[in-house]
Amino acid sequence: MTLPVKNSPKERDSALLVAIAAGDRRALEELYLSFHRRLARFLSRFTSRYENVEEIINDTFMVVWQSAKDFRNASQVSTWIIGIAYRTALKSFRRQKNHAAAQSLEDYPEQTVDPTFDAELNDWLNHGLSRLPMEQRLTLELAYHMGHSLEEIAAITDCPVGTVKARMFHAREKLRQYLPALSGGPAGLSARIG
Amino acid sequence: MTHNRRIENSAEHHEVSALLPWYVNETLGEIDRQRVDAHLGMCAACREDLAAQRRICEAIDAQPAIDYMPVASLKRLQARLDALGESDPTIAPVKEQPTQRLPWRGWMAASVAALAVAVALLAANRFVQTDAHLMQPNYRTVTNSAPRPQGEVIRAVFAPSITLVELQSILDEAQLRIVSGPTEAGVYSLASNSTLTVRASLALLRQHSTVRFAEGTLPEPEPGDSP
Repeated sequence: MTLPVKNSPKERDSALLVAIAAGDRRALEELYLSFHRRLARFLSRFTSRYENVEEIINDTFMVVWQSAKDFRNASQVSTWIIGIAYRTALKSFRRQKNHAAAQSLEDYPEQTVDPTFDAELNDWLNHGLSRLPMEQRLTLELAYHMGHSLEEIAAITDCPVGTVKARMFHAREKLRQYLPALSGGPAGLSARIG
Repeated sequence: MTHNRRIENSAEHHEVSALLPWYVNETLGEIDRQRVDAHLGMCAACREDLAAQRRICEAIDAQPAIDYMPVASLKRLQARLDALGESDPTIAPVKEQPTQRLPWRGWMAASVAALAVAVALLAANRFVQTDAHLMQPNYRTVTNSAPRPQGEVIRAVFAPSITLVELQSILDEAQLRIVSGPTEAGVYSLASNSTLTVRASLALLRQHSTVRFAEGTLPEPEPGDSP
């Protein structure tokens, strides 16, 4: 199958999915390669082990291959695929009860980061993010890195808009607690130290 | 109760505050955006929160992502699909289209062939005086025939169990960055981020048990060579 030239990534994704529904393995490969980078980054918020990331990505595309014919354009292709990856990640997470990612905020003592902690911004951020429950961490990633709208995140995570807002609210509050340097900037940090 | 306190206790404040992340990533609809704009004009707490959210958004967005070459993962997916097709004849069969090969497939085939030649030449040169019967290919090579990625000074292999955070930490310590990889053999090409010598970076890498292999790709300077 020769795919028609499409102007936008959305149109290209839709055309590829139509081809996949017709059994075109080349189209699946093309879609896989175009999504691998963003899915790997997104899923690295869920697990730090690449073999798990790869497994979830491949499980996701097994679903894409088998379910493409059922896609009804109710959402963008990217929203649909990221939603499959999200739910696949949740299933994997629940299977691995002792996985490090299972640690929620409640597993940690209530304490703020030492504001004199000498670390780069990334260290601060990783420190704070690692203490968020997974749903909150992934909601932040979906909004702040992947740039999804509130409604898209609700579709991806298959939950009401109000739940997405609540997860984001709690994530912001906890980051504010754990990351005074981020939430207040250098001036805020100085004020807290001083 | 002060004016500010009244605003912060209002339902409007709480509703607008919940929308701030999507105001930051610019995905709010026009009506909601105007609503947030209007509230920001009168609410100092939301302005402060907005500034904080922008910093967090920028920090998350700027976090380095380790690039993985997806070809090896794709091959494993293809194997699963092949197995699925064999076990379930209702699954759509693979469409073979030999006249329209993907560009990377051709590149991979050429690369594999060139790699095989390079390995053979290397083996012949290295072990020309050894018994050929000892040359069983019971190893994975870390060399390849592709041009050396720009800036590459070190090739390294890490333990499969290493986490992304651990990997980044080791690279930061050795003042290196990934310019390519991992290959199918798990080899990363690393470039220097600083004036630290390759020898020093190698020493820093090798002190970690999760670094399985690390070698410089440039010729070692002879003693007495000027730096």
